[in-house]
Amino acid sequence: MVDAISLEIFRSALTAIAEEMGAVLMRSSYSPNIKERRDFSCALFDARGRLVAQAAHIPVHLGSMPDSVAEALVAFDHFAPGDIIALNDPFLGGTHLPDITLIAPIFVEVEEEQRLIGFAANRAHHADVGGMAPGSMPLATEIYQEGLIIPPLKLWEAGQPNRALLALLLRNVRTPDERRGDLAAQVAANRTAARRLQELVDRWGLAALEEHVEALIDYAARMARATIAAIPDGCYRFTDYLDDDGVTGEGIPIAVTVTVRGSELTVDFTGSAPQVRGNVNTVASVARSATYYVVRCLMPEDAPMNHGTFAPVTVIAPRGSVVNARPPAAVAQGNVETSQRLVDAIFGALAQALPEVVPAASQGTMNNIAAGGIDPRTQQPFAYYETMGGGMGARPGLDGLSGVHTHMSNTLNTPVEAFEYAYPMRVTRYALRDGSGGAGQARGGDGLVREIRFEAPAEVTLLTERRRLPPYGLQGGEPGRCGENWLYRRDGEVTLLPGKVHFRAEPGDRLVIASPGGGGWGQAPAPALAAAEGA
Amino acid sequence: MTAILAGVDTGGTFTDLVLFQEGKLRVHKVFSTPHDPSQAILEGLQELGALPRLRTLVHGSTVATNAVLEGKGARTGLITTAGFRDVLEIGRQTRPSLYNLRVQKVPPLVPRARRVEVVERLNERGEVLIPLDEGSLEEALATLAREEVEAVAVVLLFSFANPAHERRVAEAARQRGWYVSASAEVLPEFREYERTSTLVLNAYVGPLIDRYLGQLEQALPAGTGLRIMQSNGGSISSAMARREAARTLLSGPAAGVVGARFVARASGIERLIALDIGGTSTDVSLVEGAITETTDGRIGGHPTKLPMIDIHTVGAGGGSLAWFDLGGALRVGPRSAGAVPGPAAYGRGGTEATVTDAHVVLGRLLPDAFLGGSRRLDVVQARQAVGRIAARLGASLEEAALGIVRIANANMEAAIRLISVERGLDPRHFTLVAFGGAGPLHACELAASLSIPRVLVPAAPGVLSALGMLVADVLKDYVRTLMLPIDQEQAQATVEEALLALEEQGRADLLAEGFAGERIQIERYLDLRYVGQSYELTIPFGGDCARAAQQFHLAHERRFGYSDPNEPVQVVNVRLKARGLVEPPVLERQPLQPEAVVQPLERRQVIFAGEAGPVAHEAAIYERSALVPGVQFVGPAIVTQYDTTTVVPPGWRARVDAVGNLLIELAGDGPAGVQQLQQQRRQPAQAASAQLAEEGSHVW
Repeated sequence: MVDAISLEIFRSALTAIAEEMGAVLMRSSYSPNIKERRDFSCALFDARGRLVAQAAHIPVHLGSMPDSVAEALVAFDHFAPGDIIALNDPFLGGTHLPDITLIAPIFVEVEEEQRLIGFAANRAHHADVGGMAPGSMPLATEIYQEGLIIPPLKLWEAGQPNRALLALLLRNVRTPDERRGDLAAQVAANRTAARRLQELVDRWGLAALEEHVEALIDYAARMARATIAAIPDGCYRFTDYLDDDGVTGEGIPIAVTVTVRGSELTVDFTGSAPQVRGNVNTVASVARSATYYVVRCLMPEDAPMNHGTFAPVTVIAPRGSVVNARPPAAVAQGNVETSQRLVDAIFGALAQALPEVVPAASQGTMNNIAAGGIDPRTQQPFAYYETMGGGMGARPGLDGLSGVHTHMSNTLNTPVEAFEYAYPMRVTRYALRDGSGGAGQARGGDGLVREIRFEAPAEVTLLTERRRLPPYGLQGGEPGRCGENWLYRRDGEVTLLPGKVHFRAEPGDRLVIASPGGGGWGQAPAPALAAAEGA
Repeated sequence: MTAILAGVDTGGTFTDLVLFQEGKLRVHKVFSTPHDPSQAILEGLQELGALPRLRTLVHGSTVATNAVLEGKGARTGLITTAGFRDVLEIGRQTRPSLYNLRVQKVPPLVPRARRVEVVERLNERGEVLIPLDEGSLEEALATLAREEVEAVAVVLLFSFANPAHERRVAEAARQRGWYVSASAEVLPEFREYERTSTLVLNAYVGPLIDRYLGQLEQALPAGTGLRIMQSNGGSISSAMARREAARTLLSGPAAGVVGARFVARASGIERLIALDIGGTSTDVSLVEGAITETTDGRIGGHPTKLPMIDIHTVGAGGGSLAWFDLGGALRVGPRSAGAVPGPAAYGRGGTEATVTDAHVVLGRLLPDAFLGGSRRLDVVQARQAVGRIAARLGASLEEAALGIVRIANANMEAAIRLISVERGLDPRHFTLVAFGGAGPLHACELAASLSIPRVLVPAAPGVLSALGMLVADVLKDYVRTLMLPIDQEQAQATVEEALLALEEQGRADLLAEGFAGERIQIERYLDLRYVGQSYELTIPFGGDCARAAQQFHLAHERRFGYSDPNEPVQVVNVRLKARGLVEPPVLERQPLQPEAVVQPLERRQVIFAGEAGPVAHEAAIYERSALVPGVQFVGPAIVTQYDTTTVVPPGWRARVDAVGNLLIELAGDGPAGVQQLQQQRRQPAQAASAQLAEEGSHVW
């Protein structure tokens, strides 16, 4: 029997399983993105592929984990204990190629019979999956340049590893040993979930588990409906822009119409740009993730995360647009950069409905930096990828935080001392970027400045946004300052780099990344000083 | 007339004293005197007549902790390498919660204006890239002088690889008369943010601890040795604590675990889970012979990398409030009724239902036996508060009360699972040692849901921290970052050399504490990881790097479910513990009286969960002091004592052993209660783990 008490007990037990999967993955993986920066997600699904629990790991996967399981269910009509399905194809349940998802069907023993009760899935951002540049986030124009594409395939079958698939996969990436280690960590995470679910069934019985899963889905939907019902009904429109796609230099509109009717909410991206040549396109699941993230922010902090949570939410992403691109579009940045702009656009619309709740725009980028080459200390190849925090948008009556990751990301930085052990580069400055937050009654948070000196030749890719069009302020607050990327060549030449750029660095060159500030909120009491020029 | 050893734990409300003299332990509690904590200490010692013969006093207090939590530490400055003064504020560039639009970060303990830079730079090998610029040092010190700082932390990049620059800066700062703390002296370990945070904490609480302990030294009779409890479960001399104050930050809970291990050992138990349930939170910690440690501690949101006992805390305790969330689910905690107004049953104006109120409704907390009968619990208020929850649930009063306890238990259970099951340890091999005001109330039910076969309630569960202080060894921790491949040719020599240097330092420090020769025990460890990973596992080092690597693979397997002996392993840090062995008191063993029969004080109705809902049982009520060694009884029963109440559910059997510990175990035969408890957990979870073991360790 389900009651308010047992509901809470199952909720915490299922969430704990997803959290524990994450702990296993984080502590035993190799890719900096997974181990240091938590760029991964772990979730449980029922046998029909409905989300049962998802740990609060990274928002950009909110809407897309169920798609992975759905595609696995399409690709295979039979599962056996010990199967593990791998995929990274953005057009078949993935997001962008570095995100590899591993899905394990979970069988439990009930009355001496193995019964499929659901799936455990985890997705992790691998440091490299091949393609035309180290880090697999190149300035590409089609997906084939971005790396190896894995459609849903069984990496393990009935408890046996598929060595041919693994060999093919590892032969196509730059750092195969790391990949093998990361995949092992992902397998271990799924096994952990299987073990814990078996314990849960042993303890409470399968019927009780299934009953409570239904109840939890209803419960989450109730909570979401109560949240949406508190937003005034109406139609709210907003358009924000990406700087460019890295190929042509033009702003790319992200248009959104948010319609609230009673306890239902629809986000419609009709009017956004058609898909573009560069890699800022997203697949539809990223558009859903951005929407779900915004709705989730309006809910209580510890709200449950399952199939019911987003039942009252509809997302319309026109096919062939920049938010629902078709193959062979390049999508590497959609996940990290465009997703941020989608959030900015949705919040921009909702600010009209909830002016006392919605914050001004945050930095709106993850400031992706990738570098690769040969480390002269070891003669081994290195592949570095990192993202950088910046200014958070001011909140009504509350300043934005400085130097943090905002919205769709919350990954850790690499400690300077760890960085210099690992790569032939030095950090020569790491500081808050004073005065970059937008003025207002509440100030936007400041961005960061990170200055890197190269000690060896390196191929460098920057994927950064808000270099031309600043994060907006709200209710009279000033916009935050744009980010800036500077290259100081050893011979004295100084260049202000574009937001999206690939170049070769030589020893002695210095790269300065200044991340954007957050927008201000409300009219500043005194006339705001014009922001000074330069980084 | 033998000398007296005393453990004194100063808490917010009570100061607990435990004395050891002539083979006997004596326990005393006095009210704390927060304006001058030494007053209560002296008063307590006086009342026990212990002052004249006091030889050593081991002390733990919340002075440092409170200074951090309340933001009342010293006015502190920070000196860093040029370009990095904001590292303290940026931290790891994350926001503390993902979906909270009004999320806040804990402000740094040193604001921008007091963070200054010196021009210098080393590389990862400790080689000088930019020599220390004396002019910039002068300027930095001048700024701090203008800012009127009292304490200064010095943290330069890669100082653990070469401390020369840092030493020079610290020396110059000390000449200004400030309390100065340099990172290579306290924590020569890589990762600059966590090191900086640790050093800032040390400087921030240093002057306070320095003054506090200075006063206490003065107040004690001349010749009394004063030792201070640390977060790592060992003590150090007062003089050392005054220099490295951050080592004492979480000494109270740590001492509780040491105390729990001590009493469990006296009963022959080496593997235990310490369960300390207080008013607002539950602390759990695992002891498998050795106490589990961590270097990932936090205090008031500030990381500290100094080794401390690994205590996991959840916001569930007696005062935790029951409430309904937006989706209509019943929740318990983390918000607490606190001391004021406290649970409704305290009759001080609290109206919301708490876990304590639920226990009152269930008849598990006796209204007239609370705090030795000095305070009556208000049953009417408790029933009204829980009644409101029941009304909303559409359930009976008893169902609601059981529900509140079950949810609180679920939170506590999750905490225990995290430190046991999730680390590859099976709780069925452990004993649950319950203490704190509410630990013994919940222990048996928690044990049942985790398949823990046995619960131990110490004779004096309210003063376990003070007892832990009394028995703690003197313990010094040392670390040094090396960062080298373990199979490298010179690895063995480099590791040995580094450990030898740490050992020399350890022996010298312990000599200063009055230990020598056989009374010093040295423990060596390596922090190892696969090349490319970011988290290390600490592995005991027996002298052979290859062997340590093998042990690392096994530990990795146990912790994470896989290992790969072909992957290269890296030595990140060497660690050393120098332990000064304290002659621990031996608990007096009393002969068991197998014929001893104890008559219950009375019998009362107490409610437990049955298969179809709440069932009232006639439970025997015992007073703990009447339970002499050898006594046995079966549940349902309630044992009351001054500051805790023990619940023995139906189907459990309790006995008092020779050292006075109450041991409660699931009865072997099958009264109704056992079936009911077994019903709750069906089968122990062997199937899956066994299956997993068969799958083999190596993923590929």
